[in-house]
Amino acid sequence: MGAADADVTIKVQGLSYTYPGSEVPALQGVDLLLEPGKTCALLGRNGSGKSTLARCLNGLLQPGAGRVSACGLDTAEAANALDVYRRVAMVFQNPDTQIVGSTVEEEVAFGPENLGLPQAEIRARVDEALDMVGITDLASRQPLRLSQGQKQLVAIAGAVAMKPHFLVSDESTSMLDHTARLRILELFEKLRGGGMGIVHVTHFLEEATLADSVVVLERGRVAAQGTPRQTLGDPEKVRSMGLDPLAVTVVAFELEKLGHAVDGDVLTVKELLSWLYA
Amino acid sequence: MPATEITIGQYIPTPTLLHRVDPRLKFGAVVIATVFIFIYSGWPLLAFAGFLLALLAVCRLPLLRLLKALRAVWVIVFITFLLQLFLTPGEVLWHWGFLSITDTGLANGLLFSGRVVILVILLSALAMTTAPLKLADGLESMLRPLARLRVPVAHITTVLSITLMFIPGILDQSHKLVRAQMARGADLESANLWRRVKSVLPVLVPLFVKVFHDADELAVAMDARAYGGGMRRTRLYPLKIHVGEAVLTALFVAACVGILFIP
Amino acid sequence: MALRLRLEDVSFSYPLGGREEAPAISGVSMSIEPGDILCLAGANGSGKSTLAQVCTGLLSPASGALYYGDRRIQGRSSLLQFRRSAGLLFQNPEDQLFADTVEKDIAFGPRNHGLRGEELARRVRDAAALVGLSLDDLASRSPFSLSGGEQRRAALAGVLALEPEVLVLDEPFIGLDYEGRTGLAEALMRYHDERGASIVIVTHDLSYAWSLATRFGLISEGRLENVMTSDGMLAGDADLASLGMQLPQWGALARELMRAGIAVDDPADPRSLAGAMAKRKEAAGAGD
Repeated sequence: MGAADADVTIKVQGLSYTYPGSEVPALQGVDLLLEPGKTCALLGRNGSGKSTLARCLNGLLQPGAGRVSACGLDTAEAANALDVYRRVAMVFQNPDTQIVGSTVEEEVAFGPENLGLPQAEIRARVDEALDMVGITDLASRQPLRLSQGQKQLVAIAGAVAMKPHFLVSDESTSMLDHTARLRILELFEKLRGGGMGIVHVTHFLEEATLADSVVVLERGRVAAQGTPRQTLGDPEKVRSMGLDPLAVTVVAFELEKLGHAVDGDVLTVKELLSWLYA
Repeated sequence: MPATEITIGQYIPTPTLLHRVDPRLKFGAVVIATVFIFIYSGWPLLAFAGFLLALLAVCRLPLLRLLKALRAVWVIVFITFLLQLFLTPGEVLWHWGFLSITDTGLANGLLFSGRVVILVILLSALAMTTAPLKLADGLESMLRPLARLRVPVAHITTVLSITLMFIPGILDQSHKLVRAQMARGADLESANLWRRVKSVLPVLVPLFVKVFHDADELAVAMDARAYGGGMRRTRLYPLKIHVGEAVLTALFVAACVGILFIP
Repeated sequence: MALRLRLEDVSFSYPLGGREEAPAISGVSMSIEPGDILCLAGANGSGKSTLAQVCTGLLSPASGALYYGDRRIQGRSSLLQFRRSAGLLFQNPEDQLFADTVEKDIAFGPRNHGLRGEELARRVRDAAALVGLSLDDLASRSPFSLSGGEQRRAALAGVLALEPEVLVLDEPFIGLDYEGRTGLAEALMRYHDERGASIVIVTHDLSYAWSLATRFGLISEGRLENVMTSDGMLAGDADLASLGMQLPQWGALARELMRAGIAVDDPADPRSLAGAMAKRKEAAGAGD
């Protein structure tokens, strides 16, 4: 325990990254500060660099230029790799290509086993993680036979068992149906409430409206950053960043053209209706 | 789409008495039994087959699944039988044109194909009762001495066990791909064998692409969970050989030896 | 020009070696009129992919009847012939690409149907143009060197080259961003308008097909619960949440307005929605 543990943020400074063999940089000069206990939604069109950025946060990719400091640890240093993975956990888009265990229990234990923890500690972590995610009843089931949504819950439990400060979700809701997505988002909120920092890469703007902060990438640069309202309230700007603007913002925009200014930036149906009935 | 029912190499979750046995003991027993079945012939071989089936039944292994595994390899068994039948010299029992069946041919045919059948039963029993990760753990433990010679034992066994786990997925995927290409007019159900063969390539290529792509994604996911981070992996359920199972394994080996003395 | 496709009480289960298994789809009756754009919506595991394959003749119904035009599809030869009129684009279309070049891959389908020479080349050209793929640049490249979005388009071209009268797409929008979705939707509408094809979009997310579809069929646990127009979706009390789905924000807003008695001319047009709300706001203001 030293000074490194006192810093529980992820600091991204001037981050640039180019994939080997590519001529175009995937990320250029990205600056970001991520804090625990907060949700950050990461948006951008395909190819904008959001997945690349996500993978730089936990050291899967090392910066080509600039620096990523995860909880005080420089991700570019090989010696820090294990400690970074421990502090910044990740779940991925495809539920099927994350599974290595024959039972849910073993699957969740995989991370702690890799950390070389004693058996009693692994047992405790597995039980806690299953309980936190609400899937204790699935403990002895075969992960590959579960539904897609359940598989993602198992993946999150596996991440939680690492006791990370941050959870990065790389489009983990993209392949799920509405009910399963809601469950995952509720779980993220619960984890956030418990002090974890959540970074959620998604292309569903409605999910981003729930976040504390939103970052939109375009061609590897930060095109917009701020609260959901600040970044997603203007449909023209949203469209120019290659995203599908929220219906409510488009209607509010039309209303303004008709001379009815909707105060504040409304993002949900409820908000628009309260303006209407006000 | 539901998971395909493959019967070779698929772990079954319903517990048999063999599920809890240390994988190293099971693996060792399979190796020893394999050696013996190549020593046996005639009645001892038959006796061993009977003994094995009885043992598996007592351990509550679903024998029907086992039979399905055999059905999947019947082609190999049949070819083995035929090769021995027609190509072994000896006293001719029957002939037609240039094909002749000899007495030794018949005996060898039965012997060799019988050995293949028992081998498949042994391996299926092992795969059905041992979870892939457990198998990998067991192998790793047994091969650990090799690690001193810089052989990456842990990685090899993890790769092996994950490959085993990938197999049902690959088969599912291939069904999907067959349908996708059938939707484009590929004739994979044709009676014409040549047509069918030509239609396999459009399925094989995307299958391989997907398998490699998935393997890549899996590798990244494992990295993100600190796999290969230099730490020695510990276990939620560490392998421990209990006296009881060690004794039973010893008895099994003794039985194998005993069968040799059957006239 | 497509013919009417009709299903009567169709069921299908996957054979799983004797084990009792709930049927993938059961008792499905529906008809797809020529030129329909139908969205078959259901949660993962609801049976929609199976239904998609039955609708294109890839799977033969275990019970019930399938009619295309006046002809009943029964028996291998009528099934094979029906397959020629239908096309199915699978989820993960990248899975179907296999050939050395993009051109050869697109040509695979029509070639299997016996086309050669100038006719074959025309089909490939037309299909590529429909999906917005530039053959001049990409024809001789390997399909695996294309970007994700281009691969999608190449796979779609491969199906369109067969000129199917009934085109079914299984989750075609997943993983595409806004531009990708718009491009795909435009390609589908072009094909629909030019060929008079019937289009079926199978998805679990209503927002993708919301502006495209003329009708919506809701599937749950192998059963077709309901088929309705988008107006019906807005007016009706279909419990979408229990089926694992939700209305896209457009639909949710329109529904709330309609429930409050505010008339909207075109629930899919933002100006129409804004106009209706403005009127209400003004009326409320005037009443003070």
